[in-house]
Amino acid sequence: MALTIFALVLLLYVLAGAFIARYVKNSDDFYTMGGRGSTLLIVGTLAATYLSAATLLGIAGVSYAEGPLVIATLGSFGAWIGTLLAVVYVGRKMKALNCKTMPDFFDKRFNNKWVSIIAIVIMIVGLVGYGVIQFIGAGLVLSEITGINFKLLIVLFTVALIAFTAFGGMYGVVVTDTLMFFTMLAISVVIAPMIIGQAGFEQMKGLSETLPNFWTIGGTEDRSIGWSISQFLVWILFFTCMPALVSRVFPAKNDFVILKTAIIGVFFAPFMQLTVFIAAGGMQVLKPNITPADNAMIVGFMEFTTPAIAGVGLAALMASIMSTASTLFVLVGFALSRDLYERLFEKELNEKQSLTAARIGQVIVAVVICAIAIAQPSAIYWISIYAGSIFAVGWLPTIVASFEWKKMNSKAASISMVAGVASFILFGELIKAGVMTLPTGVDELMLALLVSVATLIIAALVTKPTTYELNYFTEMKSTGMAKITIQEFMKQPDGLQKIKKQYKQIITVSVLFTFISVVVWGYFFIKLGL
Amino acid sequence: MNVEVLILFLNATLVTVVSSIVVIAILRKQYLPVIRELEKKEEQEVNADDENKHIKSNI
Repeated sequence: MALTIFALVLLLYVLAGAFIARYVKNSDDFYTMGGRGSTLLIVGTLAATYLSAATLLGIAGVSYAEGPLVIATLGSFGAWIGTLLAVVYVGRKMKALNCKTMPDFFDKRFNNKWVSIIAIVIMIVGLVGYGVIQFIGAGLVLSEITGINFKLLIVLFTVALIAFTAFGGMYGVVVTDTLMFFTMLAISVVIAPMIIGQAGFEQMKGLSETLPNFWTIGGTEDRSIGWSISQFLVWILFFTCMPALVSRVFPAKNDFVILKTAIIGVFFAPFMQLTVFIAAGGMQVLKPNITPADNAMIVGFMEFTTPAIAGVGLAALMASIMSTASTLFVLVGFALSRDLYERLFEKELNEKQSLTAARIGQVIVAVVICAIAIAQPSAIYWISIYAGSIFAVGWLPTIVASFEWKKMNSKAASISMVAGVASFILFGELIKAGVMTLPTGVDELMLALLVSVATLIIAALVTKPTTYELNYFTEMKSTGMAKITIQEFMKQPDGLQKIKKQYKQIITVSVLFTFISVVVWGYFFIKLGL
Repeated sequence: MNVEVLILFLNATLVTVVSSIVVIAILRKQYLPVIRELEKKEEQEVNADDENKHIKSNI
């Protein structure tokens, strides 16, 4: 059965990719789906990032072994708030500035090659390091379930991914992500409740007797509160400027779509993750001693649901791998074709050449990542330790200062990005070697962030912004998504009525989702907390 | 009552509450004043049209 599902799922995405390719007529369609993203598609593509292989395997494993509160209470909370900031603060602002990729922003804001090069290198290293490890890890698990040779499995995945990333670009990723979102949603609304139902709330609560601290933030390992706060900071800072989240906003049709996504999309973050973590806790009742603990949810849907539902679970696991990988492929490919080749090397390309370059970029990235995943060089494991967090120490201070501070300039941006990343790696290596020790609750990310912010402020104070930077800052401050959207709507017949209708719709959506949220989490609290 | 479990589900609820508050604040600050201004303009145009019609009918 596993093999049939594997083949069917791959075929579905290849067909979806081939179908979408017909709608990609120019580079705008390829990079931002021509700004035609509806609320359903933008929520779908955003929510598909919530159940990555790391969530479904790694964090679910920690929830199973140490308790569901360990990472979810503060670490995941930081990620959820970070997602909100990525959408309404960073993504919305960059979209208003007509950015098609995140490095576009650095290019427009500073018009400086070095800043752009540093930003692109951080993005490629960060995304590859963060994504390839998940691709490898989840591929190994899936290879075990299906019995398909790991290398062959990675090649098959790559071919399927090329079908919709190289031909459909962001259009392909957004549509297939939405399909994947509905598959993944099955884990949260069907599989997790089935596992929780079989385990029973009372039995789950009773785990505290056999596993002391199972229902505490410290968990069975009795982790310090400093560690939990550090997790909160890592995830909120990383997610606020994570390209996989921010760039989801760029294809949105208008500001109303972004604002609805901020409510509905952000609601799905805890909804999709927390149900999985609680179910993973429930697996401790149903089957203790699963090794490795990362397989808890897979054992859950293979052994504690019906064969048909187990098939859906398997398809969802594949969706989580493909969603992570397609994001990785498409964003790194964009960096290669648009940010490096077209903009930095100043290639004058016509529409057709630009689209061809974008597609070639996708194929190159897919082949390179496939080779890395198969060869598994030791360097990739070293990079993965630092990959996710380098956005927080490298990009975040520069992005925030660029939005808010008139004195911000290219020298401050370059120094801050390099100092942040270099100090983060240096502190990390010194701590690993035992040369440096930090007090409980303080980690290398906090120190590196401090270095990045301090160097940025000092450099900006002792240097001056160029006339271009000052002019762009003024232009940026007078641009906003609300202004653009109002202008677009007022060009249509009955524009004002349409704006008022959208306004009322968003208020209704916010009230409705707040109510659903109170009911869902209130229910879980009554069952597990009282 | 387990306070730590309460914190977990309070945080999960808070995310949607905060996003709703932020979005409503954006609507009130960036859209409502423009909507009111446009409504006023539309009303003035309707009134001016009515006046014109009234004058024309009197003539």
